[in-house]
Amino acid sequence: MEVVIQNIIPILATAIYMSTPLIIAAIGGAFSVRSGVMALGLESMMMMGAFGAVVGAYFTGSVVLGFLVGTLGGMLFGFFHAVLSVTYKVNQVISGIGLNLLALAATTLSMQLVWGNRGMSPLVNSLTTNIGGFITQIPVIGPILAGQSINFFVMVLVVIVSWTVLFRTRYGLRLRMVGENPKAANSIGLRVHALKYSGVLICGALAGYGGAWLSLDQLNVFVRDMTAGRGFIAVAINILGRYNPSWIVPCALLFGFADVMQIYLQNAGIPSQLIQMLPFVVTLFVLAFGVRHIRAPAGVGLHEDS
Amino acid sequence: MKQRLKSLFRLEDGGVLLSVLSLIIAIIISGIIMAIAGHNPFTAFRAIAIGAFGSQRAIANTFTQATPLIFTGLAFVFARKAFVINLGVEGQMYMGALGAALVGLMDLGLPAFIHLPLAILGGILFGALYAGFAGFLKVRFGSNEVVATVMLNSIALLFIGYLTNGPLLAAGSAAAQTERVLETALLPRILPPNQLTYAIFFAILACIFMKWFTDRTTIGYEIRAVGLNKKAAETAGISTGKVIFITLCISGAIAGFAGASQVLGVDRRLIMGFSPGFGFAGIAVSALAANNLLGVIPAGIVFGAMRAGSMELARTTSIPAEFSDIIQAMVVLLVASPLLVREILKVNQVAKKGGRKLWKLSSKTSSPS
Repeated sequence: MEVVIQNIIPILATAIYMSTPLIIAAIGGAFSVRSGVMALGLESMMMMGAFGAVVGAYFTGSVVLGFLVGTLGGMLFGFFHAVLSVTYKVNQVISGIGLNLLALAATTLSMQLVWGNRGMSPLVNSLTTNIGGFITQIPVIGPILAGQSINFFVMVLVVIVSWTVLFRTRYGLRLRMVGENPKAANSIGLRVHALKYSGVLICGALAGYGGAWLSLDQLNVFVRDMTAGRGFIAVAINILGRYNPSWIVPCALLFGFADVMQIYLQNAGIPSQLIQMLPFVVTLFVLAFGVRHIRAPAGVGLHEDS
Repeated sequence: MKQRLKSLFRLEDGGVLLSVLSLIIAIIISGIIMAIAGHNPFTAFRAIAIGAFGSQRAIANTFTQATPLIFTGLAFVFARKAFVINLGVEGQMYMGALGAALVGLMDLGLPAFIHLPLAILGGILFGALYAGFAGFLKVRFGSNEVVATVMLNSIALLFIGYLTNGPLLAAGSAAAQTERVLETALLPRILPPNQLTYAIFFAILACIFMKWFTDRTTIGYEIRAVGLNKKAAETAGISTGKVIFITLCISGAIAGFAGASQVLGVDRRLIMGFSPGFGFAGIAVSALAANNLLGVIPAGIVFGAMRAGSMELARTTSIPAEFSDIIQAMVVLLVASPLLVREILKVNQVAKKGGRKLWKLSSKTSSPS
């Protein structure tokens, strides 16, 4: 434990850094679930985001455009998810898992077709701007922020804006009403389909951005199966955080903290695989003893005519 | 009975026709993508067909691949009967593999006809206990089963990684794997040297047994009641918590059998990461099976054929084997959306002024409703 206390500032800094994509993607999931559409397809949207980002950065040379293409890639699969689960009333578990399978196959295939390599894309420009200036001079917070990229502010912005939109605007209220009871929402004249589409598209955009973070912020390349289950972790964090941005942040940070701790505990003589379990075990504990009986919006999986 | 047979062929959720049509549409769409990408789709389909059914070895490969898929598909479909989403099939399969390996590695001096069933039982028990843990969390603490099972998947994978790299590592082995399972615990192969084992019959029997179990037993009835309407089931005096727990345990037991069949039959030892995602592929199988317990058998064979075929595709052509994954993903999405399939076939199924215009094929066979 000593090693953790001594390194608490770098640990916190890395925890926040590693949680950033999870927070953004999980909040995307919140928009989807609040509109009544299960978000098991987050993995596919993150995957498309990561892939699109590298495609964008490769062909334009611009990181900003890379993030933009990544976001659009996530939205594309968000759109697929909406078409299937809203318009064609597909079971949302199946469509989510199906899209995950499709994204993995499609990205691997596209890599082969575009770059002739099924494992890895060429290296591209990545985000290198770190936070600097006066902020790093602030005690305690400064050193934590010094290692963050500009996406830290994007994440904070996403948290604040999405919380406000979900709980303090007319649109958010309507979105949540559609998620709770689509039939009632329909009967008072809300455009149920349009609202659900908007929720799932926002979900795709945010998850796509989170995926783009993986390939352009953390790394500068796309590798096969890049998300490697992070989408499912984002799904879990979204549920743990009760589909509420203000709860998602601490849940993601806890997961990120446990994830980083294990790196520092690797020298303690415990086999690495056992230590790597830490974030998953912590999440299970929180699930069992911390946040019991999480209630999803009552209308998840329902349609306005069912 | 005749009525039930007829209903199977309607273009509706759960019908055979829908599954078959979706499969065909998925193959056509991926063929078009292949052509756009500059590959000859017919070369690809021929290679897949040869790899899946072209020779005795190919057929053996298909059924070898189908065995775990039938098990995992069955595990998922069965859980769905009680409206439980068991995303933890992958983890439960790994734990089942561990249970089977532990018993199989033990030198008890037992004859094969006792040792082998014990090893399989070990797999079933480990799978059931692991799923039961998620069920316990759900029933006792109200934990969301999606989160719990996803976390347990990661934990199981890492735990097997630890065991195969540490305590159970075979002496002198460079790969992370255990010693060979004892001869007495091995599932016999049907057509040696092919890897196909008698586990395929267990898989098929398991589907038939589970069908009987859900349709004809009291617990099966309770499971269906909970799946159809939880509140109504509770009002009728069914303990929903108990039913959900039991459902997850049985689902995990089936998944554990899948792991046992891999360890005792195909790999003959426990290898780290032996599953190329059989757990999630099981969800794909369940979609093609249209949540029908017996439908899992042909659906598993179809996906097994595609897996075996894609190996041949990668071996003999320059066409990326991922096309077979694309077909699989498209099948999952299309089978799940009968409305979309009808639209693709330009079927006008919208009721206009009370009249029901159905597509020819379905109107011939559909019962008046």
